[in-house]
Amino acid sequence: MKRSWTRWARALAAGTVGLSLIAACSGQGTKGGDSDSASGPVTLKINFWGDFGLTDLKTKYEAEHPNVKIQLNSGEYNAQHEDLQKKLVAGNGAADIAAIDEGFMVQFRGQSDKFVNLLDKGAADYESKYLPWKWKQSLSADGKTQIGLGTDVGGLAMCYRTDLFKAAGLPTERDQVSALWPTWDKFIEVGQQYTAKTKKKFVDAGTNLFNPILGQQPVGFYNDQEQLQMEQGPKVAFDYTVKAVDAGLSANLVSFQADWDKGFTSGAFAVLACPAWMLGHIKDTAPGTQGKWDIAAVPGGGGNWGGSFLTIPKQGKHVDEAYKLLTWLVAPEQQIEIFKKVGNLPSQPALYSDPAIADFKNPFFNNAPVGQIFPKMAQGLTPQYLGKKNGPTRVEVENVIRRVENKTLKPDAAWAEAVKAAEKVKSS
Amino acid sequence: MSTTRAAPTPPAHRSAPRRAGGSGADERRLNWRNRLYRFDMRYMPYLMIAPFFLLFAVFGLFPLLFNAVVSLRNYRLDDPTLPYWAGFANFTKLFGDEYFWNALYNTFGIFLLSSVPQLLLALVVASLLNRKLRAQTWWRVGVLLPYITPIVASTMVFSVFFSREFGMANWVLGLLGIGGPDDPIDWRADKLHSWIAIATMVNWKWIGYNALLYLAAMQSIPRDVYEAAAIDGAGPWKQLWRITVPMIQPVVVFTVILSTIGGLQLFTEPMLFDQNAQNATGGPNREWQTIAQLIYKVGWKDLNLGYAAAMSWALFLIILIVAGINFWATNRLSGGRR
Repeated sequence: MKRSWTRWARALAAGTVGLSLIAACSGQGTKGGDSDSASGPVTLKINFWGDFGLTDLKTKYEAEHPNVKIQLNSGEYNAQHEDLQKKLVAGNGAADIAAIDEGFMVQFRGQSDKFVNLLDKGAADYESKYLPWKWKQSLSADGKTQIGLGTDVGGLAMCYRTDLFKAAGLPTERDQVSALWPTWDKFIEVGQQYTAKTKKKFVDAGTNLFNPILGQQPVGFYNDQEQLQMEQGPKVAFDYTVKAVDAGLSANLVSFQADWDKGFTSGAFAVLACPAWMLGHIKDTAPGTQGKWDIAAVPGGGGNWGGSFLTIPKQGKHVDEAYKLLTWLVAPEQQIEIFKKVGNLPSQPALYSDPAIADFKNPFFNNAPVGQIFPKMAQGLTPQYLGKKNGPTRVEVENVIRRVENKTLKPDAAWAEAVKAAEKVKSS
Repeated sequence: MSTTRAAPTPPAHRSAPRRAGGSGADERRLNWRNRLYRFDMRYMPYLMIAPFFLLFAVFGLFPLLFNAVVSLRNYRLDDPTLPYWAGFANFTKLFGDEYFWNALYNTFGIFLLSSVPQLLLALVVASLLNRKLRAQTWWRVGVLLPYITPIVASTMVFSVFFSREFGMANWVLGLLGIGGPDDPIDWRADKLHSWIAIATMVNWKWIGYNALLYLAAMQSIPRDVYEAAAIDGAGPWKQLWRITVPMIQPVVVFTVILSTIGGLQLFTEPMLFDQNAQNATGGPNREWQTIAQLIYKVGWKDLNLGYAAAMSWALFLIILIVAGINFWATNRLSGGRR
């Protein structure tokens, strides 16, 4: 009697395990249904990477809106974007508010049907408040769907080591340094002087010259008909880059790798292209170099590198509450709060005249007036159309530059290789 | 009461006489138990084994079939306007894609550089471990340590180990007079060096695991075979190849097939070996981009899921073919009893 019971129990257990496994796969069958109850607590999840300076703002918003709970989910930069892409394909599971970097914007802008069109929510008023190119970056190709509102922009300047400049007999004062290199030709000349004198490398990597120069050109890899335009901006940027690499100015490092990080302290390079958010990285990786850095203007005028947007995936259950939170986050007070906290430069030009930003000086960088330098650079930028395949094309061309750097490709053969690689992307 | 399953006498049958004068309810209960018992005997084994097949159907078979469907589609995340079905366009494109052939070449190169030395060394390690050693358990656990090390962690360490400027590999080679500080080997600049570096990571991880499998098989070989061979004048090397290998042949076949599958699906090591890992190009000139890496790049970086699915199917077929060839060859080489 007892025995057959245990058997029966075993059968039951096996069956339950099997069934529950199937049930586990079918996922959130029972969730949801709380979307209509406006009075009930609403949880909004925000996905981002690094530090967006949101911790204090979360507390503040929750205090003002007792029915809203905010869940901050910070992850790794690439992983967050890839995760968002997968959730969009799956049609389920994305955060209520997803941050997207400008480097990934083209990819997601092409899938604008998967995001809430913020223009439907009344975001059209914001167009006049934003830097025009920033607004355009997250706008769908037909201009009818705005999938995100900008948070920060990078701006672009050049960070340089005053001690290394001094040793090479170059001026160290930031205005004089800016005057040294009004153009990229002059910049390369200065670099040649530096390397001749010190036998050391001048810049960190060829690719970190290529991208800022390309960003300054009116036409990038693609025109607005999605045709490859290698002879336009890319040619200009590529030629300067190869010239600099050929002259031995590049330390041939790869950004955000251990050797590159080491280079900040060891003096493997004396200057690098520097957006606003890079300042925090230098400070964190090379705390011992405090006071040895300063910031000068970027050759060739303005520029931008990086910057983010907040978007609302359509699959979310609390789209209206998410939009309310999003507009609150990009409101001037909060943007200034974030700038003070983590240094991210807002993308609304009206804020640049705010004393909190305009008068800010960075002690780590010799008290450089970063609140003046970066806005000027961000405003001086001409909006450039980024094609759908901008990302993969950039990867291929950067790879050709790396091959020149590691000497497996001759400089004079490089351009033909770059064109070939870019054309392959177009056909993939 | 009988407890062996080989005697399926229903308990109700035997216990019925004892319950003389039992009511109809009792009868029904016994009938119910009777049926239960029969159910248990007949269907329980299938039910017990079902979870595996359910899981396989959900995570193995379904993705495989779904992948086949996707491979016949235009599935571009950045261009949803394309027509739904692509026919065999993705597959025909594969034949003309030099990146695919390059990745195939790399995959086989790394596979040969890893699997062959790996299994041979594992055999040697296993035969060493099969002798009387001091601290036997320590050695045996020791060879398994690389296997339990998280693959990402070990690859990161190897990535530094093989770095151009401050890498230990170059330092050691410099001591031997190769390369040296003036002319360090750039492990990421050409195919051969990058393949060697990646194959080293794979070998380091899997030699111990395979050695333990071999060791387990070797311990079932009777000692007297070796004694007889020794008396006949066979040295250790000859014993290994003429006695041990043929006698552990099934395990050898198993490891060959397993390392074929693993080698052709190689992903994490080449991925993290690249300094620009997120590009997934496997070096600036695709020196060591494997097929698995290319599939990932095409699917999630170039956002062409249809084409990536076609590549996955191609890889599946290639693995089937290569594993088949290896199965046949290993059988031939080590006795060919099957």
